[in-house]
Amino acid sequence: MSLPVEIENVSFAYGPQTILQNMSFAVETGQFLAVAGPNGAGKSTLLNLICGLLQPQHGRIRIDGSDIHSYSVKALARKVAVVRQEFVPAFDFTVAEVVAMARTPYMSAFGFESQDDREIIARALDMTETSRFASRPIRQLSGGERQRVFIARALAQQSPVLLLDEPTSFLDFKHQVGIYDLLKDTQRQTGKTIIAVTHDINLAIQYCDRALLISDKNYHLGDINEVFVRERIEEVFGVIAFEGAIEKGKFFMPLGKFAKDHKNS
Amino acid sequence: MKAKTLTARNVAAKTAAALLLLIVILFFCTLTGSHPVSLKNALSGDEGQGHNIDYEIIFGSRLPRVLLAAIVGAALACAGVTLQAILRNPLADPYILGISSGAGLGGALAIMLASVLGSWAGVSVGIFAFAGALGTVWLVWFIGHFATGRSSATSLLLAGVVVNAFFSALIMFLTQIAKSYQLREIWLWLMGSITEKNLAVIGASAIAVLLGLVGLFSIAQRLNVLTLGRAEAQGLGVATARTNLIAFALAAFVTSVAVSLSGLIGFVGLIVPHGVRLIFGPDHRQLLPLSALCGAALLVIADTLARTVIAPAQLPVGIITAIAGGPFFLILLARYNRKVSWTK
Repeated sequence: MSLPVEIENVSFAYGPQTILQNMSFAVETGQFLAVAGPNGAGKSTLLNLICGLLQPQHGRIRIDGSDIHSYSVKALARKVAVVRQEFVPAFDFTVAEVVAMARTPYMSAFGFESQDDREIIARALDMTETSRFASRPIRQLSGGERQRVFIARALAQQSPVLLLDEPTSFLDFKHQVGIYDLLKDTQRQTGKTIIAVTHDINLAIQYCDRALLISDKNYHLGDINEVFVRERIEEVFGVIAFEGAIEKGKFFMPLGKFAKDHKNS
Repeated sequence: MKAKTLTARNVAAKTAAALLLLIVILFFCTLTGSHPVSLKNALSGDEGQGHNIDYEIIFGSRLPRVLLAAIVGAALACAGVTLQAILRNPLADPYILGISSGAGLGGALAIMLASVLGSWAGVSVGIFAFAGALGTVWLVWFIGHFATGRSSATSLLLAGVVVNAFFSALIMFLTQIAKSYQLREIWLWLMGSITEKNLAVIGASAIAVLLGLVGLFSIAQRLNVLTLGRAEAQGLGVATARTNLIAFALAAFVTSVAVSLSGLIGFVGLIVPHGVRLIFGPDHRQLLPLSALCGAALLVIADTLARTVIAPAQLPVGIITAIAGGPFFLILLARYNRKVSWTK
């Protein structure tokens, strides 16, 4: 069986500035991968490479066994759905209308949503618990609600691969776990392969299977508990970190120079 | 709860209703004018040598003019919708990328060269304006797209502003050296006015605009997605560069046809899309056909006013649309700004 996402010797640079160098990894079907790393390490760049928005200077990317270049934009959108960082559309589309746009890669010119499309849209709204504000303009929603709508759209796209760029960055505790619960539920119910870029290592440890930690042109990939260890986190992020343990997971607390628990304070 | 999205049947029903309304408006506006006419007399047909005055007025003068207004109105409204979508700016209009100044320069040149052009003078204004409009759009696209190395809406808008300013200066220069009778003609044209054209010109323009509009309808769903921005649209399976180019080219084409027929009629391409969007929502599969029909109806009514309010003299229809449209636009602007700040 072919792998949903394969990265082979990929290098990418913005002009003279190299971001990713000789990166190779594969994600297996149904895995939930967390991508972490310092700001500017290339997490979002990697995401944009996998969804075809950027092209690598070297190396190959394979989606579902075929080279990414062999897909049309439309065909690729049936394989990979993306949830980007929170944004507000320029026009007053309703929640249902935004989610319905997920069916665009299945439509022809002059096309409208079919009965099947409408059922898929309704299911996505139900699953993300957004159907109760389906007819409200998306601009009137709160950040957490809006993020759920964009996840609903990605679900309605019915792609085997789901990419997310910092899905919880502006959300409070309740909405953070809400999003991760939703993603975990999706992973279990639909068997989707999920790749989430995140700064929240602690939540990722609770929900994800594997981790990719990118740092200055280098990277570590593996089981999430093996990748996130204190020495590596201190080295990659350049901070002192406290490691704590819960029953099944662990957590990390970065400690700055003037933090109460810093050794020298 | 059932997710509410558009169905083809629903859009077809609304479009048919709007079309019916437009036909009623066309009918009554054809009968309205400074000279009372009898439809019954007119329908008895051409008696030759101008014997049937009612026939001459209705079929020779008013009907062509009313049809022309409808074509121009539909073209401007749809071009407005399209540019607002690809620039992701609800305040864009068909003239925002320099089409107005390019067409203006072409039109003014043709008027001043009338003596040189001889027997071609009658149609040259339209042809020059069309060439000026298309040439300018190409120039703006080239500067915005290639010279700055980016394809963002901002660089297109900036290129439009620069080209607009430059060509406006050239138009000012031309008006300074124009003779007084040319000057009046240039001003009339710049204000936008619909004058009778022969049926062949009207037929050809109708076909050209209709083809352009059908082309736009065919990419309506892609325009929906495009309003979310380049990265989002790509993720939803829309080839953004190609769709932008198609949309831009079609909008520029129908606008160029419109300005070559009527000069610069402002506000139609701004108000109509806004009004339709406020009432029926932003889905382009519905917004485009309804805007075409509403734009046609609005301009037919405005032109009927233009030829009747100070009859027997006539106003340029651009004055009517601007006087009515200016305040309306301010209301929209206030409303829009408030809405944006709500979401903060």
